[in-house]
Amino acid sequence: MLRLTMHAFRNILKIAALWSVVALAHGQTADPAGNAATTTSPSATAQLPAPESHWRLGAAFGYGQRTNPLIQSEDIPVLVDLDIAWFGKRWFFDNGDVGLTLFDQAQSTTSLVARLNSDRVFFGKTNARFVNFKYAGNGEVQAFLDPATGAQLDQTVEVVPPDRDYAIELGVESLIDGDWGAATLRAFHDVSGTHGGYELSAYYSRRWLVGRLSLEPTVGLSYKSAQLNDYYWGVQADEANIALPEYHPGDGFSLEGGLVANYHITRSLRLAMSVNYERLADDVAASPLAEEDHVMAYFTGLAWTF
Amino acid sequence: MPGRSRWLTLCLLAVCLPAAGADLPAARLIVKPLLCVTEREADACSMTFDIRWKSQIAAEYCLNDSALNAPLRCWTKALSGAHSHKREVKEAFSYWLGTPGGAQRAAEVKIEVLRLDSADRRRERRMRHVWDVL
Repeated sequence: MLRLTMHAFRNILKIAALWSVVALAHGQTADPAGNAATTTSPSATAQLPAPESHWRLGAAFGYGQRTNPLIQSEDIPVLVDLDIAWFGKRWFFDNGDVGLTLFDQAQSTTSLVARLNSDRVFFGKTNARFVNFKYAGNGEVQAFLDPATGAQLDQTVEVVPPDRDYAIELGVESLIDGDWGAATLRAFHDVSGTHGGYELSAYYSRRWLVGRLSLEPTVGLSYKSAQLNDYYWGVQADEANIALPEYHPGDGFSLEGGLVANYHITRSLRLAMSVNYERLADDVAASPLAEEDHVMAYFTGLAWTF
Repeated sequence: MPGRSRWLTLCLLAVCLPAAGADLPAARLIVKPLLCVTEREADACSMTFDIRWKSQIAAEYCLNDSALNAPLRCWTKALSGAHSHKREVKEAFSYWLGTPGGAQRAAEVKIEVLRLDSADRRRERRMRHVWDVL
């Protein structure tokens, strides 16, 4: 356990060091322009925005759902979306994520972030079930066959979706923006000894404003290591039976796209709508534990920012 | 409670009854729209405001923009008035109804500005938690 943690910590340090070099190089090219703009413009100081509160508190009430790709599990209803965040000069807390900002440049902000893995949420509401078929992956099922004769077997087997733990992951996150839009780059490694793997991801988004309506589409790509995928979506030998065969996924990429629309009624109140689609990595979708090859999330409601 | 609900309703409808002075009859001022939404600090909204007012006592009223010294328009012995005002909005301001040259306000409506971009880009972080859908 200690060895695994140390190994993960060394990896994080390597990622952080590499990220720091990139962020510094990016900052050095961006700084001169930024400094020139602030020092030569006499109106810049007059237009400084009022300091923002450290806190960002909000709540949205409405109806939404996140589908659950796990077999014998329930989709996750979303009726309330709470937003609790605090941003200091260096440290921040953002809905469960804890971060330490390493570099804050004109065009980018790089932080060290600790978070909980998001795959675990699918394993929260599962049901044991007696089945007379085999989960074959990719959402397919097959009849039990006698290996000797090939004849269909008439038997039932209890399938209990396995338990999975939350993993604490530590990583580096860069937020980059400009007139072209905004990008998020992330690299996270398990530091809790839960899955021992890592995830790399990149997202791009751009916001359009039409009167009071803001539209923000997002596209993203995420790479998850074989260890991570195997822990959550693999079927280990001691979990396998005739209905749930042993399976070990490899690494893979998942793709996602989404759209968030907000119609601002007042400064604090808005009508919010979001939809997000994630295509799971092929090896994850092929797992006997996966009933669907995607996760679809949507929400519509009224959101209040305090 | 009914009084409070009524007040809330009136404010939602952008109708603000004034705390009128002793020599200034109360008036009702209605302005649409009430909100400017911008992307960045430097951006401004180009808006045309539809402004209407009503009073129960005919008097001389002037419509003012809190960012300007001179009134936008004055009415003599009028019970109501309407005005259309086109303007760039970069920061919050008020339209208010008063007497010519007077500082007392018979009615006032605030126009607010909402800036979507934050100076701290960490506030734009994209979350991946199951409960975070916005």
